[in-house]
Amino acid sequence: MSTNAAAVASVDPSTDPVGIEGLARALDRAERRSTPIAQFSVERPLDLDSAYAVQRALIARRAARGEHVVGLKLGFTSREKARQMGVDDVIIGALTDAMRVDDGCRVPDDRGIHPRVEPEVAYLLGPSIADPGADPSTAIVAVAPALEVIDSRYRDFRFDLGDVIADDASASAFAVGSWRAADEVGPLENRAVVLELDGRAAATGSTAAILGDPVRAVAAAKRLAREHGLELRGGMVLLAGAATAAVPLPSSGSVAAEASGLGRVVVHVGEEEPR
Amino acid sequence: MSATTTPRRGAAAAAAADPVHAAESLLHAAACARIPCAPVRDLIGDDDQEAAYAVQSLGIARRVAEGARIVGRKIGLTSPAVQAQFGVATPDYGVLLDDMVADDREPLDLDRFLQPRVEAEVAFVLGRDLDSPTTHVADVIRATEFVLPAIEVVDSRIAGWDIRITDTIADNASSGAVVLGTTPRRLDGLDLAGVGMRLDHAGGPVSTGAGSACLGSPVIAVAWLARAVARHGRPLRAGEVVLSGALGPMVDATQGVFHARLDGLGQVRTEFTGHAATTAAATTGGAA
Repeated sequence: MSTNAAAVASVDPSTDPVGIEGLARALDRAERRSTPIAQFSVERPLDLDSAYAVQRALIARRAARGEHVVGLKLGFTSREKARQMGVDDVIIGALTDAMRVDDGCRVPDDRGIHPRVEPEVAYLLGPSIADPGADPSTAIVAVAPALEVIDSRYRDFRFDLGDVIADDASASAFAVGSWRAADEVGPLENRAVVLELDGRAAATGSTAAILGDPVRAVAAAKRLAREHGLELRGGMVLLAGAATAAVPLPSSGSVAAEASGLGRVVVHVGEEEPR
Repeated sequence: MSATTTPRRGAAAAAAADPVHAAESLLHAAACARIPCAPVRDLIGDDDQEAAYAVQSLGIARRVAEGARIVGRKIGLTSPAVQAQFGVATPDYGVLLDDMVADDREPLDLDRFLQPRVEAEVAFVLGRDLDSPTTHVADVIRATEFVLPAIEVVDSRIAGWDIRITDTIADNASSGAVVLGTTPRRLDGLDLAGVGMRLDHAGGPVSTGAGSACLGSPVIAVAWLARAVARHGRPLRAGEVVLSGALGPMVDATQGVFHARLDGLGQVRTEFTGHAATTAAATTGGAA
């Protein structure tokens, strides 16, 4: 890792003792080459601040290639998942335009190490999200069902909290269904959610699995973005968290998420079928 | 030598001659003593469902002879994941007796049970008989007077929930108790497949799920049950309560309040007090 850090000319090793840039570079290369790396924590666990510093450096590398941050995502929003990981807080990551897949379109299949997919709820945030004094829930403009493809850049999907934060909370790709006005949809605290693979139910759950009520994701994102230096502005998408356990992304076929009263979002995977 | 082995050999011979009665005796003794027993598949085999239902019927007949009253049925193994785990392609069912039913918010002593677990489901209350072996969802919808949110306490008389399909069927589909909510809803305009379920304990969700987790919809599960029990000569009758199957993963029953919320159906809660007769040795493997 230290050689990698040295290779990034813009970083002065004396001000980057943990090799933040080197770790970001390793994660970036793992993602671009679809080749997993060993989790950092085996050698050297990252504290929260260092882990988010790696994530920022990773996103800066994407930005340098012309990608734009279009949203944020939360991780470990399910109580069971957090307990499994032994963590007591949610984590946050950034979503870029290159990760976005339009509803009904194809997930690029040139990437991914061991991708998994999960059904989520997405919020479209308005300008008041940037106002520290505003009530977080007033920033919700619209809501939609969403699919998130997560993909750890670490071998065997094994990581500790610092590892996964550094890896942009395993963000890989996402798709959002049609937006509906928040007041039209009503409370989302306990809506049935189904993840379908080729029309068959692969996982079922409730939006209650997302922080007890997905609306809490907005306040959590606001707090975490402030604490860890992520930009949060009007027009951004927030993926609130998964309503079911993640399932492996199939190599072909269709993947859909449907939330009761919220609608449906679908993406396709693999080769285009002959017509 | 022969003096000590003869009685055992006699019991073994009796069990071999009538494995169904032997299995029922074993389960009955376990329930009375509140000490779990060995799997009854050792007696009746692990795939003869007819024999297993015969064991169940004997157990129910014994309880009825003792004064219990049949108030409904329960459906188990309604999730594809659980069916796969049991190597079966259909659900199973058991019988609800009057002493299993508890009211919303009524405390339940864990000591009543051996290895209790909790799940949230939709309870159907029938307004008319469903006695045809060709019952379909339209018949179920017409016959349903109302539905209620329910918490089911499942329990196994088999040690460590080490059950296969014949074990759970013989053991009355691993039934324990049912707590019924008090907000009746008619099926008109209700999308049971789209009902979200959350079960909270100690202030946070411990299990979440959806109506479609139950065979696609709880209505489909009840239609399956109506056909199955009509074929077995014990059709569903008006007034019966049908527990249609879990909407999410079951969790261990422990002290404190369990609070189930079914989106659009209301809520129901129960509080467990005391300690279970047997601490669940294994937390995997079981579903009813």
